[in-house]
Amino acid sequence: MKKLLVVSSVLLLAAAAAPAADLKIGAAAPDFTLPSASDGRMVALKDLLAKNRAVAVIFVATKCPVSNAYNGRMAALGKEYAAKGIAVVGINSNKAELAPEVAAHAKEHGFTFPVVKDEGNKVADAYGAQKTPEVFVISPKGDLLYHGRIDESQDDPKGVKSPDLRNALEAILAGKPVPAAETKAFGCTIKRV
Amino acid sequence: MRPAARLLAFLAVAALAASARTAAAEPVKLVKPEQYKARIVAPKKGRVLLVNFWATWCDPCREEMPALVAAAKKFPAKDVAVVLVSVDSLKATPAVEKYLAKEKVPFVCWQAKSHDPQNFVDAVDKEGWSGAVPYTLVYSRAGALVAKLAGPQSEQAFGDAVKKALAGGT
Repeated sequence: MKKLLVVSSVLLLAAAAAPAADLKIGAAAPDFTLPSASDGRMVALKDLLAKNRAVAVIFVATKCPVSNAYNGRMAALGKEYAAKGIAVVGINSNKAELAPEVAAHAKEHGFTFPVVKDEGNKVADAYGAQKTPEVFVISPKGDLLYHGRIDESQDDPKGVKSPDLRNALEAILAGKPVPAAETKAFGCTIKRV
Repeated sequence: MRPAARLLAFLAVAALAASARTAAAEPVKLVKPEQYKARIVAPKKGRVLLVNFWATWCDPCREEMPALVAAAKKFPAKDVAVVLVSVDSLKATPAVEKYLAKEKVPFVCWQAKSHDPQNFVDAVDKEGWSGAVPYTLVYSRAGALVAKLAGPQSEQAFGDAVKKALAGGT
């Protein structure tokens, strides 16, 4: 109970250049091929979709306190669901966070999934992503199955009551509809060019 | 100096001191989703109210703050009130207070307290607010929501919104 009282809300952001895209659940998710921040290897969404039961695309940041509060949870989700046939890919679209910094951040926090660099925030624009962290889960057919937050508890990973992303992934693995396919992501604004 | 003049000077200095205390030293108060309207909106009825949602980690919010401060100075306090609501983590309360003091922001600041931030967003403006900050709501003297300002605003935009609300009567 005490933990509950200590936890607060953090919403956030996005203001300035609002992306034009407004990707709806069930709509076709834009394809992308972007270089891994770690080694420059190209990561293609279509390749990930061909090999997995779904792909969770997470827009991330290195300096955003909200995104960073989820580093441990993102690392754990990446490992756990890779074994279950769902790939995670991180996208860093912040103009001021360059590839070496993004790579070091991913290594420091134990991300075993690729984090790619979205120069010019073109993929963020195509998805209409505004915040970090912000999640898009895509079916093998390329349809959007889930959009929103990882969970509701920024400050307290042990106090999560609504593990929205996990619920979505479990539903997908079970062949069931995603229970809450759209939640409100909260986090820092993606700093666009 | 005559006694009456001394008294007036003392009162003027005391008033300035009181204003400064309000500006920089007032601790941030917590507000739960279900308390938003009763604790923030209702007490300001009779004045036009701007509620600005912001966070210390939000660059556009910090960049916007001087415009909000400047705009507020152009209207008498009897007509217009400005209240801040921080959506920072509760762990960041000291940082919120430090920022407000350092920047001499002369507004009362609340801090959202909600385990699930979506609950707070929905309690404030379910249909119109994605949770992105900065976000400013304008209420009429009667306490009716009359304008939503998404994203960072200029001093003129804040001023125009206030003028429109004042002109709207009620």
